[in-house]
Amino acid sequence: MQREVASLALAPTIKAKLIGAGFVRVGDLHEVSAAELRIEAGISLQESTEVLQTVFPRSHEKGSETRWMKATEILEQEKSCRSISTFCAALDTVLGGGIMTGKMIEICGTPGVGKTQLCIQLAVNTQIPASFGGVEGHSVYIDTEGSFLVDRVVDVAEAALQHCKQQHGKTGQLGALENFTLETILSNIFFFRCHDYVELLAQVHLLPDFLFKHPKVRFLVVDSIAYPFRHEFEDLSVRTRLLHGLAQKLLQLASQHNIAIVLTNHMTIRLEQNNSALVPALGESWGHVSPQRLVLYWQGKQRFASLTKSSRQKEQMVPFQITSHGFHDVQLFQSQVTASISSATSNTTTVNARKRCRVEDDDEHEDCL
Amino acid sequence: MDWDHLELKPSVLLAVKRAKIQSTKEILSLSGLELQTLLKLSQDDVLHLQKIVAASIRKTPAITALQLHQGECPSFDQTTKLSLGCPILDKFLRGGLPLVGIAELAGESSAGKTQICMQLCLSVQYPQKYGGLGAGAVYICTEDAFPAKRLQQLISLQHRLRPEVPVDVMRSIAFGNNIYIEHAGDLESLNMCVSKRIPILMSRGLVRLVVLDSVAALFRCEFEAKDAIVKAKHLKTLGATLHNLSSSFKTPIVCVNQVTAAVDESRLMEGSFGILEKKVLPALGLTWSSQVLIRLMVSRTHLSVQDRFPQLTNHLWHLGNILRTMEVIFAPHIAQSFCFYTIAMDGVRGIQANNAEQASTLNT
Repeated sequence: MQREVASLALAPTIKAKLIGAGFVRVGDLHEVSAAELRIEAGISLQESTEVLQTVFPRSHEKGSETRWMKATEILEQEKSCRSISTFCAALDTVLGGGIMTGKMIEICGTPGVGKTQLCIQLAVNTQIPASFGGVEGHSVYIDTEGSFLVDRVVDVAEAALQHCKQQHGKTGQLGALENFTLETILSNIFFFRCHDYVELLAQVHLLPDFLFKHPKVRFLVVDSIAYPFRHEFEDLSVRTRLLHGLAQKLLQLASQHNIAIVLTNHMTIRLEQNNSALVPALGESWGHVSPQRLVLYWQGKQRFASLTKSSRQKEQMVPFQITSHGFHDVQLFQSQVTASISSATSNTTTVNARKRCRVEDDDEHEDCL
Repeated sequence: MDWDHLELKPSVLLAVKRAKIQSTKEILSLSGLELQTLLKLSQDDVLHLQKIVAASIRKTPAITALQLHQGECPSFDQTTKLSLGCPILDKFLRGGLPLVGIAELAGESSAGKTQICMQLCLSVQYPQKYGGLGAGAVYICTEDAFPAKRLQQLISLQHRLRPEVPVDVMRSIAFGNNIYIEHAGDLESLNMCVSKRIPILMSRGLVRLVVLDSVAALFRCEFEAKDAIVKAKHLKTLGATLHNLSSSFKTPIVCVNQVTAAVDESRLMEGSFGILEKKVLPALGLTWSSQVLIRLMVSRTHLSVQDRFPQLTNHLWHLGNILRTMEVIFAPHIAQSFCFYTIAMDGVRGIQANNAEQASTLNT
C-alpha cells in the first residue's frame, strides 16, 4: 500500500495525471471506483479501469478472492500434482517420483550424455494414461538445436507402448490402451523449431495463447536454452536480462497451466588458477533461475545423473543408462552399482566440479544477505 | 522495417513509428515495462503489440511429431537422408546422414576420414532414388591440397561401387564438375567462404553438401592456449553460420576433426570414449562438441580383413586389406555402436558383422 504510483507499470501520461490528482501511493487508490477515478484524475473510463486492474489484480473484480494459502493447503495441492516418470526408477526416486508438473527443472550435461534423450523420453511418458499412473497430457517440444529426430521419438514411443502392454497384461485394465497408440503419441507432441533467440522469444510470447487452446499440455521443453544465447551477444548484460525475462514467463506458465517445464543447458569449462572445472553454461546468475537442476555426466563408461539443486529433494546421484528403448535403470548386480557409486564418490574430479559450483552458489547467497 | 503490414491497432502503430523502432527484434528484446515507457502505451496495448510481432516472426503453426514422421512438412523433412554410398554403412547410420545438422567425422590421421568425405561428395550427386540429393558438393580444404587424382579414380570406378545404379543414370552425371573445391588457409578466408560464397552456390541449387576438411586445423594453429575465450567465440560463430546454412538449404554439413590424446584428467568428464574406448577425444573441446549433431569416430585397426572375416575371402577383390572401424560416439537417434569398414580402390564399404564378431572385437 506504501508503493508509489510512479513505480507502477502504467503509461507515464496516466501516472502523471494520477499523481497530479493526489494519488501518490497505492493506498490512495484503495476503495476508489473506476468512475470516481475517471473524474478525479481526468482520464477516460477505460484507462481508469485499467489502472485499478493493474493496482489490484483480480481482487478488484472478484471481491475478496485473494487470501493467504496455508502451508498445509499447498502440501495438499502438491500431493495432487502428478509427476512424469523417466522410466529409470532410481532417477525417479531422486526427483521425488519423476518430473513434477507445475515446476521447472534445468537439465545440464555434456554433448551426447543424454539430455535430448531424456527430453524425448519425457515427451512420450507425459502421455501415459492415468490408469497406468501417468499424467495423460500432451507435450510441447521447442527445439533450438535441430536435435529432435522423429526416428528416435518413434523408438521411444514404441518401447513405452510395449511397457504399458506388459503392465496391462498383469493388471488387465481393459480399454485403457485403446487411445494410447503410436499415432496418438506422435500426434500429441507439438514441435516448434526456433533458429535463434529472437524466434525463441517470439515463441514464448505466443505460448499463452497456444496453451489456452491446448489445455491438455502437461510438459514443455526448450532443448536447449543455451544454444541460441551462447553466440550473437556482445553485451552479456542484455543476454542476462533476456534470459531472466524468458525464464520468468516460463515459470509463470508452469504454475498457471500446471505444466512441467524442462530447460536443457550446455556445460562449459571454467578455468581457475591451476585447475579447470566443468560447470553449467550461461553464467553464474542463471544458476539461480531454475528451482531444480539436474546434471548428467559420464563416469568412465557409466552415465550418472545428479540432482545438484532442489528445494524439495535431497541432493543425490544415481547411475542410469540409455538403451535403444530409452531411459532405464542400470541392470547390474547391486554390489556392482554400489561399487560404481562409491568409486564415483571417491573420484575427486567430478565431485569437485559439482561441489564447487554449489559452494559458490552458497557464497553468493551469503553475499546477498 | 515496414510496420504497416502488421495488423496493429492504429494507436499502437503510431506509437511504434513515433518511437522510431527499427526492427521486430528490437521490440522482442525489450521487456514489457520498457516498451510501456518507450512507447507510452498501456499494458494491454504492449501485450497486443508483442503478440502481433511474435506472430509475424513465427508464421509456421505447431507441427506434430506425427506429421514429421509421415513427412508431411517439406520444411522439416526428416525422412530423406543422404546415403554414404554403401548399404551397410547406411543401415548402420539408420539411412544415412540427416539433411539438417552438423555431422562430425573424427579420427587419427590415415583413419579414412577424407575417403569417406569424397565418397559423400559423389553420393550426393545421385538422384534421390539412389540415396543422393541430386546436387553437387562444396569441399573446403584447410589442411592438404585436395586429392584430385584419387577423386578421378573413385569416379571412374563408381560403376563397381554402385552396381545397383543403371548405367545411363550414372553416365548422365558429370561427377567431377559438381564438386566445388575451396582452399581456406586461415580463419578469415574460411568465414568469407561459409558466409558469402557458399550461400550463393546453394541458393542456385547447385550444392546440397558441405564438407569442411578439417575444422580443427585452423583453430589449432591460429590460437594459443591463452586465447581460449577468443577461440571459443570464433568456434561458436562458425558453428552458428554452418547451422544456418544447413537448416535454410536443407544441406548436411560434414566436418572432419582431428583427435587429441586425453591426458588431462579434467577432460575425462567432457564426454564418453564410446564403446571401443579409444583413448582419444575429438579436438576443439566442449564448445565445438555442443554444435555437433552426430559425432562419428573412425580408426584403423591392426587387423586385416582376412584375419577377422575369413568367410569373406571370395569377396576380397572389392575389399581393402586393412580393417577399420566407424563408431557412433553420440547421435540423437543412434545408440553408441560401431561398424567395420574397409577402403578399396573403388571406395569405402561397410562389412556386415554379426553380434558375436562385434563382441569379440570389444574384448580384444
